[in-house]
Amino acid sequence: MSTKFFAAALLAVPLTAQWINYKTPGIPRNPDGKPNLSAPAPRTAEGKPDLSGIWRGPRTSVYTQNIAADLKPNEIQPRAQAVYQEHVRNLGADSPRAHCLPDPPPYYHLAGLARIVQTPALTLIVNEGVSNSGVTRTIFTDGRGLPEEMNPTWLGYSVGHWEGETLVVTTAGFNDKTWLDFSGHPHSEALRITERFHRRDFGHLDFEMTLDDSKTFTRPITVKANKTLAADMELMETICENNDQIVSHLSGGNGFRLSREALGRYAGTYEVAPGHEAAITMDGESLVLRLSPSGDIQTLAPQSETIFVGRGNGTEVLTGDQVEFLKNSSGAVTGLALHARNGEQKAARKDTARNVR
Amino acid sequence: MQKVATILCAMSLSLAAQWPNRPPPGIPRTASGKVEISAPPPRAADGKPDLSGVWQVQNGNALFYVTGSLRPDEIRPWAAAIYKQREDEYRKDTDGIACLPPGPKAGIGVGNTPMKIVQTPNLVLILYEYQTIFRQIFTDGRGLPEDPNPTWMGYSVGRWDGDTLVVTTAGYNDRTTLDLAGHPHTEALRMTERYHRRDAGHLDLEVTFDDPKAYTRAWTLPAKFDLIPDGDLIEYICENERDKPHLVGKSGEEFRVPVEVLARYTGTYESPAVAPGVVVSLEGNRLAIDSGTGKVPLIAHAENSFTMEGTGVEFVKDVKGAVIGMTQHWTESDRYFPRRK
Repeated sequence: MSTKFFAAALLAVPLTAQWINYKTPGIPRNPDGKPNLSAPAPRTAEGKPDLSGIWRGPRTSVYTQNIAADLKPNEIQPRAQAVYQEHVRNLGADSPRAHCLPDPPPYYHLAGLARIVQTPALTLIVNEGVSNSGVTRTIFTDGRGLPEEMNPTWLGYSVGHWEGETLVVTTAGFNDKTWLDFSGHPHSEALRITERFHRRDFGHLDFEMTLDDSKTFTRPITVKANKTLAADMELMETICENNDQIVSHLSGGNGFRLSREALGRYAGTYEVAPGHEAAITMDGESLVLRLSPSGDIQTLAPQSETIFVGRGNGTEVLTGDQVEFLKNSSGAVTGLALHARNGEQKAARKDTARNVR
Repeated sequence: MQKVATILCAMSLSLAAQWPNRPPPGIPRTASGKVEISAPPPRAADGKPDLSGVWQVQNGNALFYVTGSLRPDEIRPWAAAIYKQREDEYRKDTDGIACLPPGPKAGIGVGNTPMKIVQTPNLVLILYEYQTIFRQIFTDGRGLPEDPNPTWMGYSVGRWDGDTLVVTTAGYNDRTTLDLAGHPHTEALRMTERYHRRDAGHLDLEVTFDDPKAYTRAWTLPAKFDLIPDGDLIEYICENERDKPHLVGKSGEEFRVPVEVLARYTGTYESPAVAPGVVVSLEGNRLAIDSGTGKVPLIAHAENSFTMEGTGVEFVKDVKGAVIGMTQHWTESDRYFPRRK
């Protein structure tokens, strides 16, 4: 049990920024003093949209847990799929976050706060982060291209240019140590990320990022994240400490493995309550749980023939919660029990799955 | 000797910034493209000097030890005791060894690494290569919060005093050190930094540490920075506390060298970097070394082998046993300092 709780603590969502209440200067305000977020986007002296400000991501997104949520099984390269399965079995013990290292690149856009500081020749993105404040990106906008040869780094090398009102940032030169999501999808040093930033109005930033890594996925993946200005807000310091103490509590899972045939028996749709469903699909040697309508997604690693432990934080299920499959006396799967910290739920099986990975 | 070697790795000087060369805009240059480092400092649109740029501290190794100008009785006894303990334990429990942020010593180029200043009208950001850490300095007129939550890097506000940016920082936690040597501070620490871009190529900084709970008086350290016109920071992600297991601390008593032997090493050693020379003196039953910025104790490991804040120091004798020089074992290379006759 303690393993699960520590894993949950590790992935805990931070308190929102709590610095002193100070009104951010330069924000258009309504007569009542509230920020007018639909005012026109500000512009720099050169006439470009000024992206500067503190921005909040959409917070919940399936892509923080599973960047490959929309991919077909054959769109993940076999070697990457094998590494992914190993990460799932280890229950995050070998994740960068468990070692105070940078989080998945999409995560910084999807959750949490980031300050953009735009100057004529460079733009900085200072991420509040959840486990590590030392994730500050420099984007060169002075016309340079990407260097031909780059030392692989955690954050890569970023250059940006304007396409009309949109700042387009290309990043390459990554090492292959970061994960792309918290379930554990890896990437190679060939990863190239294109980000598009468009400040629609004062309070809204339309953002999308495309991850292209043909050694990992057969096609590029595009993730959208619409950001909202966090007015009168400040970033908090988040420093990752005592990783050695946390890691020692991460058991890395028990290494239990089930055959694809055994896993396949669980795939299907389960009814939690009228209009509330739990869909189980296969993903290599693990299962994926999707809850509707909440949209929660969890990667499930087997711990025994019938008990699985999940990783992924949503509104209904959290990392460390367990899913237990229920069978009748003849061994047929009749339902599942969701042993979640938010409450115990049972679901009866509706049909068998056709969606088998 | 092994211990000396490992602590050197832990504190190794990073290579200077090595990203691809690309001349940044806004730096005055001659027709041939050479940087005019003594041109007047560039100014921001609001008329203030623009401190933006990548800066490398000069003689940063001297800032490994910041209390050189204090008398022993100006360090409160508890602070002196903690310092002594850290010294004995090779600083294995200090911030950087555990991949934790540097706190107030970031400003003086901790680890001899460069920093990048990005100045905007209401906010000055300083990115430090060391641990890829950043500071936000609010220059929008706000004051310090009255009761800030203690943080590793504190809360900084800045204002212009003529052409000098004066930055006040408070709200530190007490878990970092003032220098790599391990001098402690409390949550009461208040740091004042005065940044003055003397010309295009030079930035003068004065750092004042004021922590009455640990030191009986405030004191000021100068630090000088050179512009790195065509360089940039390289990424510095601290991984896995790799150095910590190698720092075993001192197993037993410090190696004792008789005072009459120590006395033979005292004197002045020639150095191209320090005009009056490097001075070795006897302080009680220990040697101290002054490389121009204050006395640093030398910890003995053998009769002629010592450690100076993690750097190995060996005295060299001629065939007759007379001390003729000193070799310092820096990570990049050994440096030899002949003894002044």
